[in-house]
Amino acid sequence: MQIQPSDLGLIARVAELGKRYGDGSGTVTALDAVSLGLRRGEFTAIMGPSGSGKSTLMHIMAGLDSPTTGRVWLGDTDITELPDSALTVLRRRRIGFIFQSFNLVPTLDVRGNVMLPFDLDGRRPTRDEQAWIDELFDTLGLRSRIGHRPHELSGGQQQRVAIARALATRPDLVFADEPTGNLDSRTGREVLGLLAAASARYGQSIAMVTHDPVAASHADRILFLADGRIVRDSGRSSAEEISSFMLSMEVAA
Amino acid sequence: MHTRLKDQWPTLLVAALAGTFGVALLHITGLLGAAIAADDVTGGSDTVALMLGIVALVFIVIAIYVSAIVTANTVATVVAGRTRLIALLRLIGSSARAQRAQIAREGLLIGLIGAAIGVVLGTGVAFGLSAFAVANDLMPATDYDYVNVSIVLPAVAVVVTTWLASWVGSRRVLRVRPIQAIGNSNEQDREELARHRGRNVTALVLFVLGIALLVAGVIWGLSDPTGVLIGMVGGLVSFTGIVLGAHVVMPPVLRLVGRLFGASPAARLAAENAVRHPERSSRMTIGLVIGVTLVTTFSVTMESYRAMLLAAQEAHPEVYAGIDEMLNVTVAVFTVLIGFSALIAAIGMVNTLSLSVMQRTRELGLLRALGFDRRQLRRMIVVESAALTLAATVTGIVLGFGYGWAGAQALLGGAQAEPVFVFPGIPWALFGGLLLAAGVLTLVASIAPARRAMRVSPVVALAVD
Repeated sequence: MQIQPSDLGLIARVAELGKRYGDGSGTVTALDAVSLGLRRGEFTAIMGPSGSGKSTLMHIMAGLDSPTTGRVWLGDTDITELPDSALTVLRRRRIGFIFQSFNLVPTLDVRGNVMLPFDLDGRRPTRDEQAWIDELFDTLGLRSRIGHRPHELSGGQQQRVAIARALATRPDLVFADEPTGNLDSRTGREVLGLLAAASARYGQSIAMVTHDPVAASHADRILFLADGRIVRDSGRSSAEEISSFMLSMEVAA
Repeated sequence: MHTRLKDQWPTLLVAALAGTFGVALLHITGLLGAAIAADDVTGGSDTVALMLGIVALVFIVIAIYVSAIVTANTVATVVAGRTRLIALLRLIGSSARAQRAQIAREGLLIGLIGAAIGVVLGTGVAFGLSAFAVANDLMPATDYDYVNVSIVLPAVAVVVTTWLASWVGSRRVLRVRPIQAIGNSNEQDREELARHRGRNVTALVLFVLGIALLVAGVIWGLSDPTGVLIGMVGGLVSFTGIVLGAHVVMPPVLRLVGRLFGASPAARLAAENAVRHPERSSRMTIGLVIGVTLVTTFSVTMESYRAMLLAAQEAHPEVYAGIDEMLNVTVAVFTVLIGFSALIAAIGMVNTLSLSVMQRTRELGLLRALGFDRRQLRRMIVVESAALTLAATVTGIVLGFGYGWAGAQALLGGAQAEPVFVFPGIPWALFGGLLLAAGVLTLVASIAPARRAMRVSPVVALAVD
């Protein structure tokens, strides 16, 4: 019997993942034989300087882009060769997204944005899910903003709505791409605290791409990428430790 | 500035079409005038030629008016798409006024090219038609001179309106702030409805006054057919009020129509998208509303007239022989002439929809990332297109029906010995044709943007630029 990723406590896994752009002399290697597994219930940060391949890695793991070589699993599903329609349904049901900016559909209010994944699936939330969504609204302080449109919200509030949407379907994995990149440092810390709490309290698996050591210091595990390779895999670290490692990477390069 | 003109080609198309229409119509009027003058029977009378000239002028003015609205809208949309570039130039030190003047200059240039194309094509069309008519003995050969002063009129009108409409449409440039070149990409694309108090009041006053005149015309018409003249003034005034107040009238109609398409996420978003720029959608649809209203008004009046004539024909067949055929020809000719404005408006709609979808690439990427599949995106675009087209067509038919009946009542209500209620004739064929055209327009307008939307990769939404 084959061993499944979930038997190892993994929520996502990639094996020998490679991604190249262009061909001939102009070939750019974004990812070079990357293998890793993300553990269920953990808050993982993926760090690296610009051009290290961290965004490409996230796009491929989220089924938004396809690898040149290697395989990708979400849970026990091999998503490497899934057709576009299956990937779309997968994103709808099993993945949550939080982007740096432009997270929300401008023509929908807060409730509409949070309910969008359910609407797309053509179903209403179950009673259990509705209770969870109400709890999210309360925890994230959005109760009084439910009928507001995105342009009526501050940047921090918009990110909270994005978090609520990403958590609403209780997806296997939430991807966060520089979720604090557009926020002031105090609001940014709040958002990171909320993500960390979602992982610690509700066991939500989260993968966050960032180049900010302070953001990464909220994570349980930190993966460092450079030139398309994983160069370090460490547990929870302080912002100082992360910064000094990043600096040593820059100096070595 | 070669590359910057690329997004302006629809403006050129509209200018060229309006120019061609104007020039061709004036040539044809001139040709007919020459033919009438050469005829022994009618030659003595100037009235027919004069009437022809006035009718031609009215249609040219309508076409140019619609094309001005379309141009202003296209330019406003083009400016919205160029926000980043304009902001960058502002950042480097260009003034808002210089940026706006640049767009107005583009408008002038486009107007000149469009007018030139119009003169050449319009003359060609008129020449071809007259050659065909002469060859088939439909019209005597005349010594009409194609090189004459009258065709300068539409050409100049096209240049001036394209220029002015570009100036009006580029107002948005003044609101572009330099910081938008470096700011984050949260799109500030919501156009708050500016408080046009003066415009709203004027629109309301015109509308109320016009309706009052229209009612007066109908009542007057019960005893005297000249009531139709009062009614006509009332119709024009009230319709001008509606066109001026389009930004108040159209959004609720668009919302209402949007609801018809159901509550699926694609349909709901499409309904919202149709009204997200209330000014833009109002201008986008009002051109079509004008065209459809005019065609319908004319058709309903003529249909009522025909019904009355048919009744009379039964009583006195010898007097009214052949009148039905003549009516048919008249209706057909006028429908084509008015329909031309609707064509220009339709081009404007196709283009504005394409541009605004292109400006939404990030949002489309976001929707894909969140789990919209390609079919849902396409459905969203088609429904948005359908909401716009349907709202314009239905509004036009309703208005046209009201005006047409009022016209028929005022004209025919007192034509007989005692006042009668005139049953509005319903031109079913026209309504069917209009709805069919609306369906075709919906599809045509959504082909390019839907194809583009389906190609958007979800990675776009994550890209930080």
